[in-house]
Amino acid sequence: MIIRSFLARFFSTLVTLFGVAVVVFVLVRIAPGNPIAMMLPPGATEEDVARLRALYGFDKTLIEQFFVWLGNVIYGDFGTSITMRLPVSELVLQRLPATLELSIMALVIALVLGGSLAVFGARFRGRAQEVGVDISTGAALSVPDFLWGLLLILAFGVAWPVLHISGRVDPHMDVDLTTNFYFFEGLLLGDFALVSSVLSHMLMPALALGLPLAAMIAQLLKQSLKEQLDQDYVNLARVRGHGETHVILSEALRNAALPTLTLIGVQFAFLIGGTVIVERLFAYEGLGNMAIDAVINRDLPLIQGIVLLFAVLFIAINLTVDLTYSLLNPKLRHD
Amino acid sequence: MTQNVFTLEISGLNVSSHSGTRVLDNISLQVEPGEVRALVGESGAGKSMIGRAVLGTLPPILDKSSGHIILNGKDLSLLSERKRREWVAHNAALIPQDPLSALNPVRRVGAQIITPLVRIHSWSKREAEDRCLSLLDQVKIRDPKRVLKSYPHELSGGMRQRILIAAAFANRPPLIVADEPTTALDVTVQKEILKIVRLLQEDTGTAVLFVTHDMGVVAQVSQTLTVLFGGRVLEDSKTHDVFTRDASHPYTQALIRSTPDYHSAGGKFVPVPDNVIATLHAQMRERLS
Amino acid sequence: MTETQNIISAPRQRHRAVNYRLWLPLTWLSLVFGAAIFAPWIAPLDPLAQDLLYERLPPAWEQGAEPGYWLGTDGLGRDVLSRIIYGARIAIVVSLIAATAAAIFGSVLGLLAGFMGGWWDRVISRIIDIWMAFPPVLFSVLLVAVMGTGLASVIVAIAVIDWTRFARVVRAETLVQSQMDYVDSALIGGAGRFKTLLQEVLPNVLPAIVALFALEMGIAVIVEAILSFVNLSLSSDAPTWGGMIAEGRATVHYAWWVLVFPLAVLFLTVLSFSQLGEGLKRQFDPVLQ
Repeated sequence: MIIRSFLARFFSTLVTLFGVAVVVFVLVRIAPGNPIAMMLPPGATEEDVARLRALYGFDKTLIEQFFVWLGNVIYGDFGTSITMRLPVSELVLQRLPATLELSIMALVIALVLGGSLAVFGARFRGRAQEVGVDISTGAALSVPDFLWGLLLILAFGVAWPVLHISGRVDPHMDVDLTTNFYFFEGLLLGDFALVSSVLSHMLMPALALGLPLAAMIAQLLKQSLKEQLDQDYVNLARVRGHGETHVILSEALRNAALPTLTLIGVQFAFLIGGTVIVERLFAYEGLGNMAIDAVINRDLPLIQGIVLLFAVLFIAINLTVDLTYSLLNPKLRHD
Repeated sequence: MTQNVFTLEISGLNVSSHSGTRVLDNISLQVEPGEVRALVGESGAGKSMIGRAVLGTLPPILDKSSGHIILNGKDLSLLSERKRREWVAHNAALIPQDPLSALNPVRRVGAQIITPLVRIHSWSKREAEDRCLSLLDQVKIRDPKRVLKSYPHELSGGMRQRILIAAAFANRPPLIVADEPTTALDVTVQKEILKIVRLLQEDTGTAVLFVTHDMGVVAQVSQTLTVLFGGRVLEDSKTHDVFTRDASHPYTQALIRSTPDYHSAGGKFVPVPDNVIATLHAQMRERLS
Repeated sequence: MTETQNIISAPRQRHRAVNYRLWLPLTWLSLVFGAAIFAPWIAPLDPLAQDLLYERLPPAWEQGAEPGYWLGTDGLGRDVLSRIIYGARIAIVVSLIAATAAAIFGSVLGLLAGFMGGWWDRVISRIIDIWMAFPPVLFSVLLVAVMGTGLASVIVAIAVIDWTRFARVVRAETLVQSQMDYVDSALIGGAGRFKTLLQEVLPNVLPAIVALFALEMGIAVIVEAILSFVNLSLSSDAPTWGGMIAEGRATVHYAWWVLVFPLAVLFLTVLSFSQLGEGLKRQFDPVLQ
């Protein structure tokens, strides 16, 4: 039964993926503006135009072009960037680590901050502390990541300038790494000068992305913690001599975390989408920033590649969350 | 210590909410070693709150309390928070109301009832497990070893309640608070559970504070009873006397007559008369204003 | 547990909180709407007039300010206050039209999916799934790039992306309502499916749509600002809050007012719309009242 439901879920995901590919392809192909014309030097002949059109496959029908493109994509060939004259897959892979590091940092911030606020609010439920948590999370939720970024720039870039508001790393720093995971590889190599430079650039965009999610986690987790804390198994733990904080952390938290987990997964997928504008805001050299440049320069293959990658990430994360949820919940596992 | 003969002695207990609503008003009662005392009243009378006050599990909005609760010779109000928790864990246990929510759904049953014994009594894991197995046997659970390895949702409500009763008695505490342990169960299972509680109680000599709204249950399990109304003690007497003499409080008499068991035993079913309730409400209003 | 219920009732307090949640945002939003409608009469200066002699003047209370430029000027000597007031026009026009279009389109599809079920539901839900996979900002940037910059493109892009928000909620609400007995009795009574949908289901789903509309207005305002920020909305000459913020972000170290004032206005507007939406959601929710 489990395998069958997994297969159904997987098949459904494939259909969604195909739909995503169609939308990406159609949108980019109906874009006005002739990208070929932009690539040619002045004085190019008709023949040159035809050669280039054939090279990029623009001479076939739209449906043919779609399946050629889709076939290539499946083999990892996303075409060649028009402005940078490099394979899209290469460009994207170069930038992906920066975006992943930023998203993971944001997720960690959201988990730690949201989780502690939830436990704190549940520990002091019905008192002023809980009202404080409610008000601050309510406000944090109403403000989208773009505005958080701007507010943070004012706070930690201008009023109290302790963090960098542009870039990913100190431009004077000599970065000599094998991967583009500056933060993780820096940590592994023990290069703390690099790590602290990366952190001082990444912290603000990560906070901007993570604060709304932290608020969401805090609200939902606190609510489910409070529901759990009224249950008799928690009362039994209290009678057995455990303090309130211990009861929350070791008895109630795991049960309360299950509904929150789904939310975190889905919201993490949205959070990755949020990197687009936040990277732009902080001139952070990730995928999102590159995507907006590609749109402005009408670099069709590059746009296609990046949009597709974001969509696939979104779908993959949602699928993972579903599967993890059913593995973690003993009730579902046994049914 | 020697002058204190009670397992539990509550005197002048008041509990009120932040907004000042009084939930318990000047409650005093005693439970002798080995005594089963029923706490009776309608919902809202405060009967569960007494048990919760003793065990220290009052809801956070009701944290304002005064008075004395002396459990097995120690006045809980004089202890620090940590000391109080330890003392209660050693000297009392709870049989909860709703067996379905009283076991943590994500942990195996064995871990939930053995680990506390190991921690509270510093028994070895082996010792605790043996004690649990023999008690599970006593509460008529078949294949107790398999049950210990199960998750709660794999067991029926009646089975879970029997496990929880066994766990409470496994502790060998001087006092057990049973908070309406049969309310959430089928009538047929109820009888079985009550039998088990009485059996283990007689076996271990543990005192029990038995919270219930059901006079039929009172007649079956308790030797003494305390009747509550609106957070106050209305009557405090021997169960036998209440069911045989007419001298008890009219409200208690009315409660007895409103019990289906009494009806089926040949008596006439009569709801609590309106004028009795009205008199009590008038008294309460007077007190509040 | 039942005994705590009579204590935690504080309906009056909750009611006050709801009103406060509605009136504060409404006050600010009427100011913004007023500024949008009466911009030519209340703006002190021409929002497009450049004066290179007066570039980056600080606000009136700072040293070096010029009278008449209350909130200072930007890098081309344009009056910040006047640009903010005219910016309200663009923000309100975009969000009103885009949110209305998204609401109508999304609600119709949501109603159909929820009420008709079957293939309708499968196809519409699948499209929603596909739509949700795209990061909204990237999607909107891409759409504007496809359609070309301009006010109409921005509006269409927002509506094309955000209809899913309405469709999802309306579909779920409709599913719940369709299972209610009143729908069955209307159908049994001989009302057509379509008539039942419009007369019985829609009125019950409407409150959710209204609350969502307020939220969507806020989202549209922010998306318009983002598109202006990346210079894909109107020309950089046009007074948009996002465009002002983009310039302010670049010069924040020596002309903070170019960033702070439009940002504050955008912040309050977005906050107001979302608080209004949340307030309406609570107001309409029969469970919370």
